[in-house]
Amino acid sequence: MLNRTTALAAILLLASCGKPAATPDGESADSGAPPAGAQTAGYNPDRNAYFGDLHIHTRSSFDAYIFNVRRTADDAYRFAQGETIQHPSGFDMTIAGGPLDFYAVTDHSEYLGILPAMNTPGTALSELPRAKDMFSTEPEKIQAAFQGVGASVRSGEPISEMYDLDTINSVWAQNIAAADKYYQPGKFTTFAAYEFTSVTSETPEGGFGGGNLHRNVFFKGAAPFKAFSTLDSTNPEDLWDWMDAQRANGMEVLSIPHNSNVSDGQMFRLETYNGEPLDAAYAEQRMRNEPLVEVTQVKGTSETHPDLSPNDEWANFEIYEELLGSHAVSAVQGSYVREAYRNGLKLQEDEGFDPFHFGLIASSDSHVAGGAYSEADFWSKVGIIDGTPVARGSVPFPGSTGWDDQPDNLIVENATHWFSRWSAAGLTGVWAEENTREAIFDAFRRKETFATTGPRMKVRFFGGFGFDEGMLNSADLAHTAYEDGIPMGGDLIGSGAAPSFIVWAQRDPNAGTLQRVQVVKVTSDGEEVIDVACDNGTPDPSTRRCTDNGASVDMATCTPANQGAGELKVLWTDPDFDAARRATYYVRVLENPSCRWSTWEAMRNGTPPRPDVPTTIQERAYTSPIWYIPGN
Amino acid sequence: MTDDNSQSPGLRLLREPLVHFVLAALAVFAAWSFTSALREDADRTIHVTQSDLERFAALYAAESGALPGDADMLAIVNDYVRDEALAREARRLGLDAGDTIVTRRLAQKMTFMVSDLKEDSEPDEKTLRAWYDAHPDRFTEPQKITFTQVYFSEDVRGANAVADAQAALGALANGSDWRQTGDPFMLQRAYGDLPVREIARLFGVEFARALADMPASESWQGPVRSALGVHLVNISQNTPAQLTPFDEARAAVTADWRDETRRSENEAAIREIVGRYKVEIEGVDAN
Repeated sequence: MLNRTTALAAILLLASCGKPAATPDGESADSGAPPAGAQTAGYNPDRNAYFGDLHIHTRSSFDAYIFNVRRTADDAYRFAQGETIQHPSGFDMTIAGGPLDFYAVTDHSEYLGILPAMNTPGTALSELPRAKDMFSTEPEKIQAAFQGVGASVRSGEPISEMYDLDTINSVWAQNIAAADKYYQPGKFTTFAAYEFTSVTSETPEGGFGGGNLHRNVFFKGAAPFKAFSTLDSTNPEDLWDWMDAQRANGMEVLSIPHNSNVSDGQMFRLETYNGEPLDAAYAEQRMRNEPLVEVTQVKGTSETHPDLSPNDEWANFEIYEELLGSHAVSAVQGSYVREAYRNGLKLQEDEGFDPFHFGLIASSDSHVAGGAYSEADFWSKVGIIDGTPVARGSVPFPGSTGWDDQPDNLIVENATHWFSRWSAAGLTGVWAEENTREAIFDAFRRKETFATTGPRMKVRFFGGFGFDEGMLNSADLAHTAYEDGIPMGGDLIGSGAAPSFIVWAQRDPNAGTLQRVQVVKVTSDGEEVIDVACDNGTPDPSTRRCTDNGASVDMATCTPANQGAGELKVLWTDPDFDAARRATYYVRVLENPSCRWSTWEAMRNGTPPRPDVPTTIQERAYTSPIWYIPGN
Repeated sequence: MTDDNSQSPGLRLLREPLVHFVLAALAVFAAWSFTSALREDADRTIHVTQSDLERFAALYAAESGALPGDADMLAIVNDYVRDEALAREARRLGLDAGDTIVTRRLAQKMTFMVSDLKEDSEPDEKTLRAWYDAHPDRFTEPQKITFTQVYFSEDVRGANAVADAQAALGALANGSDWRQTGDPFMLQRAYGDLPVREIARLFGVEFARALADMPASESWQGPVRSALGVHLVNISQNTPAQLTPFDEARAAVTADWRDETRRSENEAAIREIVGRYKVEIEGVDAN
């Protein structure tokens, strides 16, 4: 394993620049309109898989700066292209798996760049008493000053002396400029983007704890001079109004919510922000502005919860339930994607609209400018408070004799409740003709996206009525599937016949191998997880499960004990298909088990793995759904 | 028990790291006192007391949730000395103040001033050539390969994949169409000028290494194994890594030189200011 990692590092270092690949193979095709403008090298009418992270914070975010993050948007874009940058705890961070294809810095728009200004001599902001407290050497004062900022972000009531729009707008302009500077069409794509940081809570007193309604806002090209924040309104529907206005102004934009798992049931609640019933206008506006949801990131996975999906043996994956900055547990209903798909279908059948007709992506939410995508090379996400294995609870506290003997202090408490339960970062995959802002943003719009828990596994998913087994062995598989069907993210309009689906997954060549591919079927009154392709043999038709492939991990070295599949491919038809009934289908790909980050860190430390978190995980990918809609 | 009980558990644990740090610090600060041996007056001496050290360590522990190691303590004291030296220099230039916050701000202000004092210089031809010669890796185009590949899936063919590939090698030599050979592949079948690093990202390291060593040829070669299965490859071009000629790289060389020069001149100016001070750390005999 070590040799393999070293070898990879050596190869990755071989090249630091170069032109993108051209494809002499490029036969002309007509699947999907090519984006405007000249094609870049690598253009593929049948679309390439590109990987990126759409959720990155830098020093300009108030909660990153306070945790000693000093890296800038420039550093973030350099990191994504393979350069090494420093973590606030002093060690080097280099991206696992080689450079990414796209990356977006999404600093919190609330008080954007204000904390750095408060800590810069000569500025008026640095003269504020709050600045003196915030950057004092007394933890109580730092905490009180910081909590005050969090409370303001949550309530939407600005701290007037800190709400310096000149500074905020100029730092926003700097972030836009950094995105423009590092954008290299055909090679590396960036977006002007930021995070809208809405949090609900019943508790009136200070702090940041509450139901997470955060969303990241992305501009396809040009961006306005001011970013809408909770200090304008904490209501996401007001954000959508503002986005509609930007779009009317020629600035195409979309937003992507995240951490519905800790939204306290608010993210997919069946009411508006102000408690009114949902209606068609709400659904239309929501889907116009939010075609995608971030389904997994460091602070947990939002696909589903064991309480919602008791028959899904893989539902208990990186579940994280404590509200932001709090030990209160998030409500389950209204917090998970699969349930939202079901409720969306129910609304559609009963009332004629679906506000949850969204696709899936994943990201890191790193606050240290660079995501930790590999379990084997993990640095969590906040900054100095989770920058060491002790701080994140993967190894016992110094001086203790083992896991039964942990002292009762704040470090251990935070690690137990928060950091030990966080995961390695996710990544977004998109199918796009080329690596440009236009092509990738268009893929977001048509939801031709998939989410992974970190590895760069690739998944194709097509639905259609004319597919046959022969296509699986045809060199033109993707081309024919685009011509005769629709890809992930699309609506499949019924013709009376049963559709079939092409499901095709390929491992990350530099990560683990595949165990199985599943289709998750959701209807208005139920859900089912069906294995459709297995590393070993075919699924048992009665249980709809693969037989156990016996995969395991050597816990002394974290080396997989056996090989799974390099790729899995199948033509699948729903055995319970009902032509008259709406159904939502998405694909879940599972790797063989591998060590969780906490196990890697324990192994390196020579101590037993933390007992209250899993020692191994099954990395996975989720596609955006295909929605079957009965004809007429 | 001892009066250690009256302290927070953190402070009790701090004792031992501090001892290690004091030993480690000897080496570093001895160098400083050498350069500042002639400046013995009080204004030119920075004292770091035992209680300073404990305060730094406690603050680090509070912020990071972990106790500082030797390297951490060294970095903290380094920063402190640097900030203190720059702050004193700022005061000498006419500003004045007293506490930690002001000291930190003055140090930052001084850092900005030092940066501002260093105007961008215009490098001459000789400087640029020397920079180019000294950093060839920064101006080198990576090895790139133009190739076509056909794929034999082990997931489909099992142990026959290699034999099937070998059989296909003969068929391709006799003019079979490569587009209709092998199994469907999710990535592309042909790539132009693909850097080896990209090949590793798409096919895995093993395949990238194998291709890097294979010559361009009109004949199909292989089988070559990747993380995804078995492949036959037709390499039409294998361009070794090559140094970009100076004239083509001139703009990149200038930008690189300017970035690095600015950074290092700034650091040197700050080091020069810090060097004007003598450093004394309680418990460390640097003389």
